[in-house]
Amino acid sequence: MLDGLSSSLKDALKKLAGKTVVDRAAVDELVKDLQRALIVSDVNVKLVMELSKAIRTRSLEEEPPKGMNVREHVLRIVYQELVRLVWASTEVRLEPQTILMAGLQGSGKTTTTAKLARYFQKKGMKVGVICADTFRPGAFDQISTLCTKIHVPCFGNPQEKDALKITREGLEALKEQELIIVDTQGRHALEADLIQEIIDLNVLTKATHRWLVIDAALGQQASEQAKRFHEAIGIDGVIITKMDGTAKGGGAMSAVAETKSGIAFIGSGETIEDLERFDPDGFISRLLGMGDLKALLERANEAIKPEDVDVNAMMKGKFTLRDMYKQLEALNKMGPLKQIMGMLPMGNMQLPEGVYDVTSTKMVRYRIIMDSMTPGELDEPALINSSRMQRIAHGAGATPDEVRELLKYYKMMQRTMKGLRGAGSGKFNMQRLMKRFSGMQ
Amino acid sequence: MFGGLREKLKAARQRLGGSIEAAAAKAETEEKAVPKAGSPATPSAPAKGPVTSTATPSFVEKVRVLITERELIVSEKDVDEALSELEMTLLESDVALPATDAIIASVEKNLVGRHRKIGESVDALVVNALKVALLDVLGSGFNLKEYIMTHERPVKILFTGVNGTGKTTTVAKIGSYLKKEGFTVVIGAGDTYRAGAIEQISVHAERIGIKVIQHQEGADPSAVLFDAVQYAQSHKLDVVLADTAGRFHNKANLMSQLEKIKRVMKPDLVVYVDEAVAGNDAVTRAFEFDKTVGADAVILTKADMDSRGGAAISIAHTIGKPLMFLGVGQAYDDILPFEPAKVVDELLDSGA
Repeated sequence: MLDGLSSSLKDALKKLAGKTVVDRAAVDELVKDLQRALIVSDVNVKLVMELSKAIRTRSLEEEPPKGMNVREHVLRIVYQELVRLVWASTEVRLEPQTILMAGLQGSGKTTTTAKLARYFQKKGMKVGVICADTFRPGAFDQISTLCTKIHVPCFGNPQEKDALKITREGLEALKEQELIIVDTQGRHALEADLIQEIIDLNVLTKATHRWLVIDAALGQQASEQAKRFHEAIGIDGVIITKMDGTAKGGGAMSAVAETKSGIAFIGSGETIEDLERFDPDGFISRLLGMGDLKALLERANEAIKPEDVDVNAMMKGKFTLRDMYKQLEALNKMGPLKQIMGMLPMGNMQLPEGVYDVTSTKMVRYRIIMDSMTPGELDEPALINSSRMQRIAHGAGATPDEVRELLKYYKMMQRTMKGLRGAGSGKFNMQRLMKRFSGMQ
Repeated sequence: MFGGLREKLKAARQRLGGSIEAAAAKAETEEKAVPKAGSPATPSAPAKGPVTSTATPSFVEKVRVLITERELIVSEKDVDEALSELEMTLLESDVALPATDAIIASVEKNLVGRHRKIGESVDALVVNALKVALLDVLGSGFNLKEYIMTHERPVKILFTGVNGTGKTTTVAKIGSYLKKEGFTVVIGAGDTYRAGAIEQISVHAERIGIKVIQHQEGADPSAVLFDAVQYAQSHKLDVVLADTAGRFHNKANLMSQLEKIKRVMKPDLVVYVDEAVAGNDAVTRAFEFDKTVGADAVILTKADMDSRGGAAISIAHTIGKPLMFLGVGQAYDDILPFEPAKVVDELLDSGA
C-alpha cells in the first residue's frame, strides 16, 4: 500500500539529504518533486498548490530553531504540512452509538459496514447492523451473509422500498444492541432525492457519527463530493477503502481536508478483518519511511496472545529457528509480511527482496519442516549437517533442497533482525529525527 | 459528462489564443517601436498582454492592416504559460499525469514553429491543435452492435475490472441494451466471491428478462462461465455476457484466476470496466489488466457523477483501446454508446 507515493516522497527527501547546501534552488526542486508526487496520488490540485506554497515560504522565511540545521528544518516543515493535510484522526469511542454510512456507489460501504461491525465486536461491544440499501439488488443478501459469519444481528427487508421505514423498524428491533451501524445505498452528490433521503435518515437515527466511505482511487472529484455530503449531513469522519490496490488515496485525503474531519479507518483487503484504525502521525511517518510502531503494536496485541511470543523477541539478539517458528505463526495471524515490515522504522534501509517472497503457503511448508526437527536442532541450527538434513526432509515429506532453502531463509531473517537493531542507533535515524520534530510542533 | 472539462478547456483555449495574440502584438509593437499597440484580438480571445491602447482609432486601424498581412512564427516561449495552465486544467479534470504530459507535448508540437498569417483566427489554430491531440488519445470508438453482427455467434464478452466499479450493473445494462436491439442474450454469474453478487445479477436479469447461468457462492467462476457458453451454444443464442468478481491488479492469484477464466471460456471480447471518477490509479490498473488478460474495449461507469471525465482520456491513452459505452445513471437505459469524434467536437464546440 502506498508504495508509489511513499517512494517518490522518499526520493524527494533523499535528494534533499544529498545536497551540500540547502538553498532556494534546492527548496524549489523539493517542492516541485513533492507536487508531482502528490498530484499523481490524486490529491486535489488546488490543495497541492496551497501545500507546496506553504512549504516553500516557510522553508525560505522561517529561521530554523536553534540546534537544528536547515535540512532538518525543511524536513520538519514537510512533515508538519503533510500531517496538517490529513488532519486529525477521528476519535472512536467504545460506547453506545449509532453510525450512519454514506458514500458513492461502489465505494465499499457494505463491505466496510461488516468490517466495522467486526472491529467493534472484537473490542467487546454488542453490535447490530441495519441494511437501509433498498435499491441495489442483493445488497441485503450481501450484508446479512457477512453478518451471519460474525454472528452480528442484521436487520433488513429486501421487499421493502422505503429506507426510512426499514431504519425505523430496525432501530426498534435492535434496541438491545449498544452500537448500531446503518448501511445505506450508494449515492452521489448530484442526485437530489437521494441526498434528501440521507438527510432524513440522519435526522431519524440521530447518528452519533456520519462517516463518508471513499474509494482510494477516487480522483479530483473527491473534494466536490465530500463537500456536498458534508453540507447535507455533516460528515465527521472518512473511511478510505481499497487501499490494498495501487491507488494512493489522495482523493480521500482531499475529502478529509474539505470536510475538516479526520480519517477514521482504512480498509485494506477483502476479508472482514482488513480494517485499520488511522493515525495521521503514523500514516505520514509510514509514507516518509519512518515506520509506524503504534499500528504494529496494536496489530500485534490483537493477533498474538502473550504466551505466544513477545514482539521484542524479534529485536533481541539471539534468534533461533524456534524463534522463527513462533514468528511465522504470529506473523501469519498479523497479516502479510510486507505490510508488517512497512510499519517498522527502517528509514531508507532496504530489505533484501527475498524476505517478502515467502508466501503463506511456503510458511506452512517451513513450519512442517521445522516440526520434524529435534529441540536441539531448533535451538542450535548450526547442528544440522547433511545426514540430519536427510532425516528432516524424510520426516516432513520434503526434499533436502527445501530444508536447505529454509535454512537460507533463516539466515536471511537473522541478518535482517540484526540489521533492524543496528538501524536503531544509526546516525541518520529518521524515527528519532521525527520524534524530535513532533515534540517541537 | 465532460461538461466541466469543456468549460475549462474553453478557458484554457482562450488563454492559449490570448498569449499568441499578445506575442503577435508585442512583436509588432517592438518592430514598429510603438509602445503598447492595441491587440487585434478576436472577440473570443481576450489578450492578456498589453491591451491598453492609448492611440486613436485610426492608428489602431493602421496597425491592424499591417498585422494582418504579416506572418508569425509561434515560439515556445509564447505558449509556455498558457500550456502550463492547460496542464493544470487537465490535471484538475482527473486526466492522469502521463496522459496530460502526452497531450501537452502534442499541442505544443502542433503550435510551436507554426507559420501563421495574422489574419488566420488564433482560435482555429488552437482548437485544431487540441482536437488533434484529443482525438489522437481517444481513438475511434467501438460499435458493439456491428461487432456482433459480423462475428460468429455466440459472441462471448468477458467483463473485468477492480472492485466496485460497477461491472455487475453494467452487465445488466448491456444485456438490456442488446435485448432491445433484438439479440438473444445469456448472462454468466461469474462473481462467485462477493456475498450477494449472484442474487444481485439474478434479480437484474429477472427484471430485464434474461436467463442467468449460476452456481453457488464460492464455485469456480471458470466453470460457471463455461456452462454459460455451453448454454448459449446449445440454445443458439447471440451473446454471452460474463460477469466476474472485482479484483485488484496487484493480487497475483486473482489475476491468474482471470487468466484461467479467459483460457476456459475463450471470450471474443474482453471489456475492461472502470469508473469515470477514478484518478491517477486508473492508468496503473488499466495497464495491468491490459497486460494480464488484455482488453479490447473499455466501459466507463458512473459518468453522471462527474462532468470532467478525465479518466476516459487517461485510460484510452494508456492502453490505446476504444471506449465503448458510458454508464450514466442507475436505470437500465442509462448507458450511452461513445463516439469520440462527437465528444471532441462537443468539447471544443466553437460556442466560445
